[in-house]
Amino acid sequence: MVAVGDRLPERAVTLDQGWLIRYAGASGDFNPLHWDPAFAAGVSPTGGVIAHGMLNAGLVGNAVAEWIGGPERVRALTTAFRAPCPVGATVTVGGEVLSVDPDAGTATLAVWAELADGSKVVDRKRSRAVVTLG
Amino acid sequence: MALNPARIGHRYPAYRYEVSREKVREYGLATGASDAQIPHESGAAVALPTFAACFTIARGFSWAADPELGAHPALVHGEQSYVFHRPVRVGDVLICTPWIEDIRSLGRNEFLTAVVDCADETTGNPVVTSKATIIFFTPADADADADADVEEVG
Repeated sequence: MVAVGDRLPERAVTLDQGWLIRYAGASGDFNPLHWDPAFAAGVSPTGGVIAHGMLNAGLVGNAVAEWIGGPERVRALTTAFRAPCPVGATVTVGGEVLSVDPDAGTATLAVWAELADGSKVVDRKRSRAVVTLG
Repeated sequence: MALNPARIGHRYPAYRYEVSREKVREYGLATGASDAQIPHESGAAVALPTFAACFTIARGFSWAADPELGAHPALVHGEQSYVFHRPVRVGDVLICTPWIEDIRSLGRNEFLTAVVDCADETTGNPVVTSKATIIFFTPADADADADADVEEVG
């Protein structure tokens, strides 16, 4: 039984360059911002290589799918990318149930991915998942 | 450096995407999914939620190469949403149509809302709707950068 206030198990992942390279290959997003330090120096908000926003969104989406019992139960996912995620940073992924709609058979969660210093890579204020309840 | 508001509502050419088992597996491994969520070698399988990025982000950002829009490199991918009308499954063939839903200004920044509608090729029914919010900053050296290629920074 899913209830307001329920939380996903938090998971910490250190996104080293290998993660970014694997994600580039898997997603087809080969922007050099995510693997070329010389390129990133000129355009990155951090001055260095940063993770794909969608890699962090993927960590969040996977965590929701795992928690609710399968990806077919994820009806919607919104991820707001607030802060850049430097290569090598450790992100902590989590979520919390904000509301349950028994008539629709759905629940809405706030979801997030944050750095140790509190930087909101995926901002919990605007990032939401809607799931189908069993 | 302003984006061209006349492009609101503009639709780009549709493209076809086949959801393959191996790509779904590869994406799952690259995003640290658990074994239970990665498709087995056979049988029905549902893609992970953000697998949709494979056919809606780099490939779906048709606006980036639209000379009439006026996109420029000082941008970040501010927000991404997916609404699943039904799960994306291995074996699906999707017809994906990118279009521009909105362009608005807020202070010195501009916000582009770019949608990709993905429908089942066989039935024509909607499968997933992708909505990206791209934030364009007004760079100090805007004119100097006007001809540079657009790069995603998010």
